[in-house]
Amino acid sequence: MRMNPAREAYTTVQRTALVCGLLLLGLLVTFVIASTFGSQRLPLSASLCALTGKSDCGLSPEQQAILFDLRVPRILLAGAVGMCLAAAGAGYQALLRNPLAEPYLLGVSNGAAVGTMAALVFFGTHEWSRPLLAFAGALAATFVVYRLARGHTGASPERLILAGVIVTTFLSSAIVFITTLMDATRIRSFTFWLLGDLSGTTTSLLSIAFIAAAIGVAVLVINARGLNLMMLGERDAFDLGVEVSRVRLTVFVAASLLVGASVASSGSVGYVGLVVPHLVRLSFGSDNRLVLPAAAIAGAIFVIVADTVARTVIAPRELPVGAITALIGAPLFIYLLKR
Amino acid sequence: MLMILSSSCFRRSGPVVTPPNELHEVTDEAGRRVLVPRKIDRIVSLAPNLTEIVFAVGAGDRLVGRTRYCDYPAEAKAVAEVGDTMTPSIERIIASRPQVVLVSTASQLEAFTRQLNDQQIAVYVTNPQSLDDVFRSIQTLGDMFGEATRAANLVTDLKKRADAVLAATKDQKPVRVFYQVSGSPLYTIGRESYLTDLLRRAGGISVTGEVASAYPRFSDEAALAARPDAIILPSGSAMGDANSTIAPALRNSPAALNNRVYKINADHLSRPGPRLVIGLEEMARALHPEAFK
Repeated sequence: MRMNPAREAYTTVQRTALVCGLLLLGLLVTFVIASTFGSQRLPLSASLCALTGKSDCGLSPEQQAILFDLRVPRILLAGAVGMCLAAAGAGYQALLRNPLAEPYLLGVSNGAAVGTMAALVFFGTHEWSRPLLAFAGALAATFVVYRLARGHTGASPERLILAGVIVTTFLSSAIVFITTLMDATRIRSFTFWLLGDLSGTTTSLLSIAFIAAAIGVAVLVINARGLNLMMLGERDAFDLGVEVSRVRLTVFVAASLLVGASVASSGSVGYVGLVVPHLVRLSFGSDNRLVLPAAAIAGAIFVIVADTVARTVIAPRELPVGAITALIGAPLFIYLLKR
Repeated sequence: MLMILSSSCFRRSGPVVTPPNELHEVTDEAGRRVLVPRKIDRIVSLAPNLTEIVFAVGAGDRLVGRTRYCDYPAEAKAVAEVGDTMTPSIERIIASRPQVVLVSTASQLEAFTRQLNDQQIAVYVTNPQSLDDVFRSIQTLGDMFGEATRAANLVTDLKKRADAVLAATKDQKPVRVFYQVSGSPLYTIGRESYLTDLLRRAGGISVTGEVASAYPRFSDEAALAARPDAIILPSGSAMGDANSTIAPALRNSPAALNNRVYKINADHLSRPGPRLVIGLEEMARALHPEAFK
């Protein structure tokens, strides 16, 4: 009993729309809940009222500023970063046919971090240089890992992870080296940033993160069908009419763009690209047409929740968000592996 | 070649160059018991404030090692460098044959302290949490270096100046101050910092004075909600132009709106040594100009 291809496509679209719709609803709820939590307690009903866009909700000017100048931009950035990292992770996993492929483990995040640091050291006053060099760094790291992973026998999952470990550790040393050369007064802020820091964002970095997220996720989704076929093997995909090398290049560039934008705006937030796509696949199957957009939305939820914990749990002090994502991510991942 | 090697080996394993020197026990500011020689003539300092204290009590000529950041007084720059505050070179320190190494808790050098202990080199740890603690550091180090009188005179003089500040600001209404250690990410001073005490003496109250730890990473929201009436930015000198602007979260604070943001030479505030009193005077003058007319 074979399903009519047109009907199959229809059900995929329907299922994707349903799942993504539900996740978007979840994202909205997360956003609202996260904006009512912070180191400062704001009146709940007045905050909810203000979030709907009304002006006379009884919030004092300070409370207004806390909510709209500090908290909401930070939650938006957390969402954009989660979207970027989870979508990039799902993209790498599909392309490299490796469940462990993740920006952090592949060294791509570190590549972007080196780029960002170079931008800060050499073009400190030009904010736009940060995402640009982060993107370049991510792209270079991706390229190197990919080349290292492809031996005479083709790319095996083990080789890929080994290549990732090599690139990650090499770039970590580069980061340590750069911090040593830097001004002592900036080291503390860097160690915090390296673990992921979403505070103090600027409108331009926030918009860059969103634009990159939108473009990157869209490009990945467009290539989802190709990625599905490539999961069968690049040879088979080629025979089925997929322009393998074009898809590969496009996905690499899109994923690097996503990682670069997120690292430039928030440092290296680990585990998002690993945990979120896995959870999505476990829940909804491994069709990339569904996994890629769903992972993007679920990633936003995950990082928003993690950052809400980071900024409230020891308030008025703060933890780096990367510490929380790792703390939630690592045990969750072990659980997933054991299941 | 072999000759050189063996002779240098011999020198290493031979008797200590300094003549036998009676040891006595002192308790350092971390509560450790340290055995130091009665007569000290080789000192290594691993923090700029400690270098300043060594020179101020008149033992500068006995300093044989300092960090890259120890740039005051000018004579200090002639002393050999043994690395950074955070990453000093243990080999250079041992090679400079110090009898005591001065360390600040801020640099967190536990592992390192152990290595020096193994080499029979005394490590004296300082941990000032108030201006009085700084005076005590100056006196103890002075005593240790046989410069008790000079240290006592210095402390008396510094105390007099600190008391004068206190007298001038005593009747003023305390100003609620946010002390910005770094703007992005936001760091401030907490309960355990000597700067919280210093700010109180200058006629201010730190709005983050009750926060646990010495230099907490602080929430933007909490900083905004604190509504400080003045902001102090330690910047300039060794800091360069770092920390010369207030954090975005503080842009609409009463302090910023009323132009009460004060940049103060970071070297006077972030080095708990003799010049801390200059920092105190500068803060007090900034917060209460009318009291110093």
